[in-house]
Amino acid sequence: MNIDKFTDTIKACRFCFMCRHLSGVGNVTFRECDTPRVRAAMIDGITRNPSEISNADFIRTVYSSDLSAACRFHCVNHFDENGLNLAARRDIVEAGLVPGDVSKLAARLKERAQAPKISGGKEEVLYLVDFLDDEVPSEAEAFHKIMKKAKAKFRVAEGCLAAKALRILGFDSEAKPAFEAFAHAVKASGAKLLVASDPAVYDALKNDFPDLGVKLSAKVAHSSEFISSLKLKYAKKAGKVYYLESDFLKNYNDSYKYPKVLLKQIGAECVPFGTNSEESYTCGEGAVVLNELRPKIVEDMAKYVEARADNPETDKIVVASPYTRARLSQNTKLKVSTLVELAASCL
Amino acid sequence: MLVPKKNYMFEMIKTELTDAIGDDYVTTRDSDKFGHSIDYYWIPEMWHDRGKETPKPDFVVHPGSAEDVSKILKIANQYKIPVVTWGGGSGSQGGALPVYGGIVLDTKRMNKVLKIDRESLTVTAETGIIARHLEWAVNKAGFSTMHLPASIACATIGGFLAHRGTGVLSTKWGKIEDMVMSLEVVTPTGEIINTLPIPRHASGPDLTMMFLGSEGTLGVITKVTLKIHPQPEARKFRAYLFDDFHTAMSAGADLMRSRLQPCAIRLYDETETLTHVKRVFGMDIGKGAYIVFGFDGKEEIVDLQMKYAREIMEKKYKGRDLGSKGGDLWWENKYKFFYPGYMFRLPQAFGTLDTVADFAHIESVYWAMKKVVNENFPQARFIGHFSHWYEWGCMLYARFIFEGKDVPADPEEAAALYNRVWDLAIRAAIANGGVINEHHGVGLKLGRYMKDLYKNSFPILEGLKKTLDPNNIMNPGKLGFKGV
Ligand SMILES: Cc1cc2nc3c(=O)[nH]c(=O)nc-3n(C[C@H](O)[C@H](O)[C@H](O)COP(=O)(O)OP(=O)(O)OC[C@H]3O[C@@H](n4cnc5c(N)ncnc54)[C@H](O)[C@@H]3O)c2cc1C
Ligand code: SF4
Repeated sequence: MNIDKFTDTIKACRFCFMCRHLSGVGNVTFRECDTPRVRAAMIDGITRNPSEISNADFIRTVYSSDLSAACRFHCVNHFDENGLNLAARRDIVEAGLVPGDVSKLAARLKERAQAPKISGGKEEVLYLVDFLDDEVPSEAEAFHKIMKKAKAKFRVAEGCLAAKALRILGFDSEAKPAFEAFAHAVKASGAKLLVASDPAVYDALKNDFPDLGVKLSAKVAHSSEFISSLKLKYAKKAGKVYYLESDFLKNYNDSYKYPKVLLKQIGAECVPFGTNSEESYTCGEGAVVLNELRPKIVEDMAKYVEARADNPETDKIVVASPYTRARLSQNTKLKVSTLVELAASCL
Repeated sequence: MLVPKKNYMFEMIKTELTDAIGDDYVTTRDSDKFGHSIDYYWIPEMWHDRGKETPKPDFVVHPGSAEDVSKILKIANQYKIPVVTWGGGSGSQGGALPVYGGIVLDTKRMNKVLKIDRESLTVTAETGIIARHLEWAVNKAGFSTMHLPASIACATIGGFLAHRGTGVLSTKWGKIEDMVMSLEVVTPTGEIINTLPIPRHASGPDLTMMFLGSEGTLGVITKVTLKIHPQPEARKFRAYLFDDFHTAMSAGADLMRSRLQPCAIRLYDETETLTHVKRVFGMDIGKGAYIVFGFDGKEEIVDLQMKYAREIMEKKYKGRDLGSKGGDLWWENKYKFFYPGYMFRLPQAFGTLDTVADFAHIESVYWAMKKVVNENFPQARFIGHFSHWYEWGCMLYARFIFEGKDVPADPEEAAALYNRVWDLAIRAAIANGGVINEHHGVGLKLGRYMKDLYKNSFPILEGLKKTLDPNNIMNPGKLGFKGV
């Protein structure tokens, strides 16, 4: 089983309480089972008695994790409960035990992941307009605005995020060919740089591709890195903002520094949000499609964030992730923009 | 539980609970029941590890208010169903285990910070809040509760109140019982009561103290007002190495007798100095007994206190100065040991034999416990440090550790070996002037020594339990009280 590759993590986490305060889902459901300790202990039981993997309640719990990796980031020895959870999902898929809601969602994603799209032209920069949310067209518009000002040429591409979501749900064997098709299309296009606005896409290109043995012929940057490299002059200062870290950029990619570089360039004065810098305030960004699977939990996570704002109706909140932007905008009164939107508004 | 699941009454009770607090907050899902069947007690962990069934509740409920708790307890009384209050499940004594099934009442939904009073310097909060979350909220307002236990990330404030818990700064700032102003409690029969609003009075016996340490047997603590403090301007540490544990203990006791006010003192015996200090704090200091202490507050006062403390350590007891670095490394790594990779783990068998005694007895308690463990279980290691210091004595945080190969494979035999260590060590502590516990509580693990400890005063506690909880629904079988 895939979980067998995580024996050390299982043994470490199954009776460990040290990161429970960072369980994004656990902090809104209050359920013990939504903590790394109990998830690991449940999986530990499965290693001893494999038939337990078919327990519908256990499966439900495995698919309720927010996968923020805040626990791994916090952990003194960085045990990978996140990876363990993903391995359990793969085992559930391989055992043919996928529950109905996950199955339906996966079918939609598979359809979307099939053919990568790259617009025509010869420009070396490919901007990935890869969003699962129709709620954030302004993200791409903002990017276009910035490129216009920089007189930078680029093409647009699509075709990674649905596959990333499939991988998150445990469908590696469907995700891999989609990634391969994308890599092939990139090579054929002659592009040299892939720019992703969605941290989930950035993470897919940076980590999932090599992990699945798929080679990319182009370099990868998050939009904050690319835009800050343009060294634009901004007419307005962003002023006082609360920046909510992205799970993928912070916890999965070693505190990737460029969001803060860009914020500095646009004159943002960053004020710490909430009470601490350890909790994930992304509403399940790491689980990519948690909003589709567990809308009530995600709504509660958004309300949890709102309750921690100094002035919920006036504070300027900035996020890296369009996913988080959409969840907070849908479920709270918070005024949220993405990094790219904020940068565009300062031009 | 008293009503079997296949009985129609089971569904009726579930319906009543759901009707009382809402569908989302009553669950009988396997993953929820499993999650509440293992706390931080070694026995259920070992059972799980050996594939033995752990004790599951029939229902898990998540009340959102004292009123919800009251409704649940009334239903439980109606059907005479056990109710086990569960905070973070981080208790090491099996106190939160639903050994008779029934209802697990998880408090974590009651997690609001209700008020920070900047005039009286108090915070009022619901007790299901994780201690770290409360501390963060109070920090944001510029204060601290000064309650900084190693389980701050996982235990609830209610759990600490129920166990008389303590944190690393207890030597100056007190245990949780020293921090409490007042409580809201839902009694076993469902009344919502408040104890007096302030802790110091001459208005009869102290009800607040009666509920502190009651471990869910006398009701559910739902709200608390705690003292808070401005963040200190400075907090400084220093460490020393002494030739032997006795000299280090004399130096530590003298520091307390001097009536200087250290915020923390920690003394490691020779064995733990050799292992723990190097492995966890990264200091290779050689043989001896390591002591670390600190002061906090206004910097000038901190420096002055440090000067006098250093005189005690250096002039009177000839300790080897490890400098402020030797102290800072301890502070920076104070929780590190509890993370996997450092902490003991199964298949090892281990336990914290924590006790407390006055300075006249604490060394005898230490030697008596060490002797019984060494003599009766030569295959086990015994290590100890002294963590929480008072004007009159200190707490011994002793540990025994069996390597996996020395623990029987059969879970019953393993449990018997484990219980035998406690029997001998705890009785040795009591016989030499110690008590059965200082801050981890009694729970299931130590209940059988309550009569030894309290002798002919235990019936007073039993009488209290009977009066408050006539149907014996609240956490039966714990704290030495009778089971179902
Ligand atoms: C890694 C680690 C380090 C630890 N370090 C410390 C330390 O430094 N200091 C310390 O004091 N302890 C420490 N402990 C032990 C543990 O954290 C404490 O005993 C804590 O008080 C338990 O709180 P909890 O919320 O987890 O309670 P639980 O384990 O859920 O419950 C413990 C008992 O309290 C009762 N209870 C819980 N909430 C309530 C309530 N609201 N009303 C009435 N009864 C209630 C339960 O019924 C049970 O009997 C540590 C534990 C761990 C896992
Ligand atoms: S990730 Fe680390 S801190 Fe969290 S449960 Fe696992 S071992 Fe403990």
